[in-house]
Amino acid sequence: MKANPRDVNTGTYYMDGDVAAGYGALAAGCRFIGGYPITPSTEAAETFARIAPQAGAVFIQMEDELGSIASVMGASWSGVKTMTITSGPGYSLMMEAIGLGAMIEAPFVILNIQRGGPSTGVPTKTGQADMMQARWGSHGDYEVIAIAPDSPQELFDYTIKAFNLSEKYRCPVMIMADECVGHMSEKVVVPPAEEIEIEPRRFYNGPKEKYLPFKPDKDLVPKMVKAGDGYNLYITGLVHDEKGYPIKNQLEKGKRQKLPTRRLVDKIRLNADKIIELTEEGMDDAEVVVVSYGISYRVAIRGIEIARGKGIKVGNLRLITVWPFPDKKISELASKVKAFVVPEINYGQIVFEVERCSHGQANVVLVPHGGAGVHNPEDIAEAIEYAVNEKKKIRKVVEWKTRLEKFVFEGGYKLNK
Amino acid sequence: MNPIITAFVNGIKKSGLELSNIVVVSDIPFEPEVIKEAGVDFFHVTRGRAIAFGTGLKLGNPDLKVVAFIGDLMTLGGNHLVHSGRRNMEMLVICVNNFIYKEIAGTPAPSVSPGFSAFSTFERPFNAPHLANSCGAVYTARWTALHTNELENSIANALDKRGFSVIEVLSPGPNFYKEINQVDSELLDFYYKNSVTKNNEDTRNVEITPEEKIVTGEFTDKEKSPFIDTYNAQLGKILGDKFIPLGGQSGRD
Repeated sequence: MKANPRDVNTGTYYMDGDVAAGYGALAAGCRFIGGYPITPSTEAAETFARIAPQAGAVFIQMEDELGSIASVMGASWSGVKTMTITSGPGYSLMMEAIGLGAMIEAPFVILNIQRGGPSTGVPTKTGQADMMQARWGSHGDYEVIAIAPDSPQELFDYTIKAFNLSEKYRCPVMIMADECVGHMSEKVVVPPAEEIEIEPRRFYNGPKEKYLPFKPDKDLVPKMVKAGDGYNLYITGLVHDEKGYPIKNQLEKGKRQKLPTRRLVDKIRLNADKIIELTEEGMDDAEVVVVSYGISYRVAIRGIEIARGKGIKVGNLRLITVWPFPDKKISELASKVKAFVVPEINYGQIVFEVERCSHGQANVVLVPHGGAGVHNPEDIAEAIEYAVNEKKKIRKVVEWKTRLEKFVFEGGYKLNK
Repeated sequence: MNPIITAFVNGIKKSGLELSNIVVVSDIPFEPEVIKEAGVDFFHVTRGRAIAFGTGLKLGNPDLKVVAFIGDLMTLGGNHLVHSGRRNMEMLVICVNNFIYKEIAGTPAPSVSPGFSAFSTFERPFNAPHLANSCGAVYTARWTALHTNELENSIANALDKRGFSVIEVLSPGPNFYKEINQVDSELLDFYYKNSVTKNNEDTRNVEITPEEKIVTGEFTDKEKSPFIDTYNAQLGKILGDKFIPLGGQSGRD
């Protein structure tokens, strides 16, 4: 299905990432955003609020983030495409509802423009420390999809993709951008509507009395209907059967009741190859591979250039999709290369996924950053140099001491014994 | 619980609305099995978020009639209640007040009056109709679960209102307490007998206290432009012909 021309502001612009995400949401067919303003994501909500009323879409500023995310799921089941926009503190408030969203299989998108630090942190500066929260934030077993764009153009393109994925797999889809990407202004090309592919909602169109809201198709994703269309829906966050009714006693004699959680994880895990998007470059003879995402990828490009200038063979792997994690790809590479170097704006999140998937075959070096800024490319280059020259197999993640870390922490804290 | 659902279904019939057009949202402490048979769509969401979830449903499809059945109206859901009243979101909220959290072993809720339990209920409770009225609700009422006829009419009246309506229903949750401490449905009867109906009473005077009779009745009934109308009017004024109004228009897909 193609985008509706009314929703697409075709042209070439100079705009920041947040604004591009707002345009992207409308182009994707988003008809409802419930949000609550928070730096550094507010411009995305403002943009949508300004352009939505001309397209029959609505933005409502809810009373808090708890309300925002709940309204988004309500709107999703009313039959429209929905999103909410936030940053760290608001994202934390939304966690409970993400589990509900996974459970009732409401398609929705969360745009998280990450800021630095825990709690209120550094509201106006960047960070990449919500990556694990995106995956594990709500209690219980479920899977999500998370995408990390690295430019305003990508915030436009991947916002559309996020909507498409959420409609296809009926799971929470997170756009895990960061403040740098959200607030950087660059050229953004908005293509004509007929060049934008959008995924329509998977509506059920069989006989009403036979509809089972949680009966999966072949790809493990069930079909949806709209609330108020007379299907006598019973949709609950409790563990439920295909009809949606709560499973009260799963050990009931003679009954084999399937818990939905198995399918909630399998619909993403088994479709992971179709979902995951990566870019790779210089892999053929690489001795070291830099694994990065978001703004860190753009910084890493320069670090890799410096290292290549010294004759080191470096591959560049970018995670566009961070969740589901590309286990297979990393495992494959681990048997071929000496080491992975992972620059990220936190003290180690995705690096541990890389370590997990390398199964001890390759060394893993973290280039950390405490937030509120990006890496110095020289540090990444030096970490690459170290990684290629390290002869020993090191059975843990090596934390590279960057200039900033040395300057601020003088080599790190030591515990008094 | 069942008498309230029965009154609800009868209330819908009296209002002349189609059952299939009604979407019920409820939160955790309230999960009525019987609603499966009622012929409405039912969403059971995280605790306290029923009003917010309902707001999304209503704005996603303005043709829906949203009813929120809530136990946790004034705690976790308090902010949503306050702001939905302020914006006059078109929705009926039925607050089932049994003074306690039934499913968490009967710990007191913020609607319980001092003196109902010796140790834990010394705080001043919320007066639900007054709170809702102060926040801007266009309709408030209170009944006990045994006021079946009045409750039905009240639900029918509230469903006719365009705006934020709140009905508080006192229900002791007898099914649970029967076995635990012998308080059976006599308690329901106790509420009924100890209540006095005063329609149009000022909501300031309807606080529930152990000393006085419980005041029931329809308290607030006023007209105010609901959220969607206000939204359409405001944006229509700014954007003119470019604006695609919410609700029943061709612009939405």
